Amino acid sequence: MKKRRKQGKDRSVIDDVIGNFAGKPFRIVVIILTMAAILFPIYWLVTSSFKIKADYLSNPPILFPKRFTLDSYKEIFSKDGLLRNFTNSLVVAAVSTVISLVFGSMAAYATARGRFHKKIRAAFGIWFMVQKMYPAIATAIPIYLVMRNLHLIDTLSALIIMNTSFNIPLVIWLMMGFFEQVPIEMEESAEIDGCTFIQKFFKVVFPVTKPGLVAAGILAFVGAWNEFLFAVILTINKSKTLPVIISGFITDKGLSWGPMAATSVITLVPVLIIVWLAQKQFVQGLAMGAVKG
Amino acid sequence: MRKDAETSGRHGMSHKNETIWSWVFMLPTMIFLGLTALLPLLYSVYLSFFQYKINLPNAVPVFNGLGNYIRMFTDKNLAASTKNTIIFALISVALELFVGIIVAMVFCSDKMWARLCMSILMIPMIMAPVAIGTLWRMMLDGTTGVINYLLGFLGIPGISWLSNPKFAMPAVMLVNVWQLVPWVTIIVAAGLKALPTECLEAAKVDGAKNIQIFWNLILPMISPLLIIVAMLRFVDAFKVFDTVYTMTNGGPGNATEMLPNYIYKQGLKFFDAGYTAALAIMFVIVMTLITALFLKFRKYVEGKVS
Repeated sequence: MKKRRKQGKDRSVIDDVIGNFAGKPFRIVVIILTMAAILFPIYWLVTSSFKIKADYLSNPPILFPKRFTLDSYKEIFSKDGLLRNFTNSLVVAAVSTVISLVFGSMAAYATARGRFHKKIRAAFGIWFMVQKMYPAIATAIPIYLVMRNLHLIDTLSALIIMNTSFNIPLVIWLMMGFFEQVPIEMEESAEIDGCTFIQKFFKVVFPVTKPGLVAAGILAFVGAWNEFLFAVILTINKSKTLPVIISGFITDKGLSWGPMAATSVITLVPVLIIVWLAQKQFVQGLAMGAVKG
Repeated sequence: MRKDAETSGRHGMSHKNETIWSWVFMLPTMIFLGLTALLPLLYSVYLSFFQYKINLPNAVPVFNGLGNYIRMFTDKNLAASTKNTIIFALISVALELFVGIIVAMVFCSDKMWARLCMSILMIPMIMAPVAIGTLWRMMLDGTTGVINYLLGFLGIPGISWLSNPKFAMPAVMLVNVWQLVPWVTIIVAAGLKALPTECLEAAKVDGAKNIQIFWNLILPMISPLLIIVAMLRFVDAFKVFDTVYTMTNGGPGNATEMLPNYIYKQGLKFFDAGYTAALAIMFVIVMTLITALFLKFRKYVEGKVS
């Protein structure tokens, strides 16, 4: 803690050394270019969603629209019933996040601090690693066939199950990192006080790894919210999530840029708010995930 | 890591308990992943030896031996999409690293503006890839797209980005760069924040120029992290699907056809479950090999650092 505070004091010199590594003019140019490159597409998306039809179809395109309308939003919600898809996405993302947090952190704790033979522990580590890396498309057909036989096609359950399956390895991998940071002495003293394995987990380790849990939860939620491959394979109609609706604008509706942009805005805003509210944990989770896995 | 043997004699009973509880904690995950990931994978292996058209209601799998695997060697489209995937992964990851490092460097500050910029920088990363694909498809449209309109101001004539085989691949790469430079930036920025400040200050006091400090101190210090980032991105780039599916769906022709999209098509457009399964298995094997290599190399890098 003390070390960090000291670093904080020195930062201005460091910021200069790193930030101005190629000179100040270069820095300013890069900053402006980067922000423009990021923001212009977002600007285009948002303005398109508020443009009237003549404007979003206009050629040449209209950079600074003067007429704004909520028509696109009205259309997607009243005509296409987007509220249902929004709810689908929310249910799938929320439920799968909760399940994967519970299962994943239990498994992570067992892997990081449980009493396993060394080889078993290593085997688990490799399993979760491979699980996190292997391409989702590999199981697409078998999953589709199994879900079809179980009559789970076009149900939210199918999507919840699959997203949980993707998110558990992610949660395990992140939480293992956080659990390993908990000083072993803390657990040992709890053991001496007579805490059982479960008590240790809930009373000692859980409270200090809450930020980790938040980080893992956000990453899992965003992943499930944006998940597309299985959503498009396993849904037909009533269980479509927002990403499936967005892709539908290309395949069957042609050039409805306005409603498409509006749907994308609706899809982006909730996760953006969540990530911005917990930006610190989100960044920490990302960094941890990269450095660890 | 824990010293298991040392204390096991004294608390034999409670340790036995701990072992049981460890397995209990592991059980839900084992069952869940076993059913939803391992079994389907095994089912894929099984299917890969059969011919099975899943769009016909009463179709049954017919044993086909290694037929599906042999077919891969003569599948020209597969060869093309493999080549495309490798080119795509190499070039876009290289670009993402190059741009990501520079952006992470210039945004390195604790001031308010830097934090604000970082928040903005996160948008592409958390936007649904499908939405990114459709958004760019709209912007890159050959006739009504805003990108061509803007290029027009610079005197560059309109390019039919997504329908010209020459430009489709660069366009898909560009979008991947837009989407993932933020991720590289955030990871590298976290690495920069953790650098030992004394070292950099000492160099500064000795009169070293910032650019010299970058080449001689910062870059060597963050290079292990960069290697990890490069590899994670490389493995991930092989799995690109959402943006390709929405931007070009592999077209024009098979100019941007990549492995995940190709496998998807075999399964859900041509309903050829056997061949899809065989492709998927090969893909998993290749990815596992790349991952294993990556882990080995990473251990080597980390060993060199510590």
